[in-house]
Amino acid sequence: MTGRAGFNRGPFIFHTHALSPNMIKVQDLTKQYAGRTAVDHVSFEVEPGEIVGFLGPNGAGKSTTMRILSGFMPPTSGRAAVNGYDVYHQSIEVRRSVGYMPEMAPLYTDMRVKEYLRFRAELKGLSGKALRHRVGEVMDLCAVTDVRRRLIGNLSKGYRQRVALADALVHNPPLLILDEPTNGLDPVQIRQVRELLRSLRPAHTILLSTHILQEVEAVCDRVVMIHQGKIRAVDTPDNLTRKLRAASLVQIELQGDGELLTLLETLPGVRKATQDNELDGWRFISLRVEARHDVREALAEMAMIQKWKVRELHRQLPSLEDVFVELAASEPVK
Amino acid sequence: MRIFWVLFKKELRAFFVSPVAYIVLALVMVLSGYSFRAALSVLESAPSEGSIVTWIFQPSWFWLSYFFIFPLLTMRLFAEEKKMGTFETLFTAPVHAWQVVWSKYLAALFVYCVLWVPSYINFEFVDWITAGQVEIPSGGLKGSYIILLAMGMFNLAIGCFASSLTSNQIIAAVISFTFSLMHFLAGLFIMVVGRKVSESFVDIINYFASMEHIRTFTNGLIDTRPLVYYSSLAVLFLALTHQVLEFRRWRP
Repeated sequence: MTGRAGFNRGPFIFHTHALSPNMIKVQDLTKQYAGRTAVDHVSFEVEPGEIVGFLGPNGAGKSTTMRILSGFMPPTSGRAAVNGYDVYHQSIEVRRSVGYMPEMAPLYTDMRVKEYLRFRAELKGLSGKALRHRVGEVMDLCAVTDVRRRLIGNLSKGYRQRVALADALVHNPPLLILDEPTNGLDPVQIRQVRELLRSLRPAHTILLSTHILQEVEAVCDRVVMIHQGKIRAVDTPDNLTRKLRAASLVQIELQGDGELLTLLETLPGVRKATQDNELDGWRFISLRVEARHDVREALAEMAMIQKWKVRELHRQLPSLEDVFVELAASEPVK
Repeated sequence: MRIFWVLFKKELRAFFVSPVAYIVLALVMVLSGYSFRAALSVLESAPSEGSIVTWIFQPSWFWLSYFFIFPLLTMRLFAEEKKMGTFETLFTAPVHAWQVVWSKYLAALFVYCVLWVPSYINFEFVDWITAGQVEIPSGGLKGSYIILLAMGMFNLAIGCFASSLTSNQIIAAVISFTFSLMHFLAGLFIMVVGRKVSESFVDIINYFASMEHIRTFTNGLIDTRPLVYYSSLAVLFLALTHQVLEFRRWRP
């Protein structure tokens, strides 16, 4: 039935199974949509048993990479292997190894929860007693047993999200790829899901995407930060947050004369001083400050010496947005 | 094969859980009931050449509603999956595209076959009521259902293809309705132009003239050419559907 789009028939079957123990191995992955490059020469690896966070703003290329890794569509160029199988040539094997939960958790709204999970489990090759047992197990695990007879269409977002998670888990895949698994959940549910993910750790490798920094800190062993289709950082959350906290912002409102900006820039640790606004003689100035520097004291001293009138001095830790802005300006990691 | 059955059961269930199957069934029952009543009154009022079978399946009122069946049955098949995003969950499960295409198509075909059961009951019914006084030609009856199945295969495949092209069910319905109707009207061309143009032209047109096909089949003449024509076109459109689904997997 299948021609060139067939499975298993490619000339270049990409075997990494024997060569390396990577659960995911991505090399120079590129995906282009009609002239737009969504993922641009991305390379990274995920070891078995790891929980890796895919961090990036919306439209960074997270979902595209995850779709490629789950066998939904092929990359334009480059290679990706999951559990030793090539995502293009061994798509079916890849799909058996992956439990994928798409963004927004799409489900058949006219089915009941248990019925849906049974259907998905059958599709993924379970049957008979094993199927019944496993469906019950994942329903308990994802706390959807109490809604098992309800129509999915009538469930709240939180329940739907967890039904989708149960679906991803149902065939007990070695790798879980979860696209924003906590999106739309309330804080209690978010904590439950994070605990669940942590509890899956020894047996399952997890790649999850998020744009919430705390989530990465809470569950991930490693973070792959992606922006505009390129990898900006691959590191542990600790290192990353330390780096992120690096550049902080100090905002001041003061009255003083002319050369004040250049004076401020002489302070140790100040990278750049800019005037944002001026109102009734008060100048609103922001200072970008280097890693592990706190310039507030030095600043106050300088203000005293220069006889500036200060009415506000405030240090702002960078938001994730600031980090991305900064990362976007930086060179991508090779 | 197991995957195919799982998908087939799910598709069939979707037809009968949603009101779609029942609405189309009601439509077809009204249609066949009316055709039946009209055929009886024709036969009652005057001696006629045709049998009850030809009077049911040939007149224009039959065709009027016939082409509404296909968009209704097929528009949902792929468009809904695309709209709801379940396309992604479906194709990240270990399924082949052909399994999806055939399961959806055959489920629609199954429902289509179910639709004609009431009309067959009508024939049994009239036979029972009149104690066999109305002559029902068994060859014509068989022929009618065979050609209905063949035309259904073809038009449902068009509907599948239309549904795979878009995520909007209305657009899918319009495309499939237009295609089916255009095919039918192209076959009608011969009635407009007549046999004046040329004999070979008429022969060509006759290959896809649904009116002509149903005329021969309801008279009990089972011709294999239309059957091959409709089933091969059905396979062609299903292959196209398969290509559309696999399009995302194409590489430059």
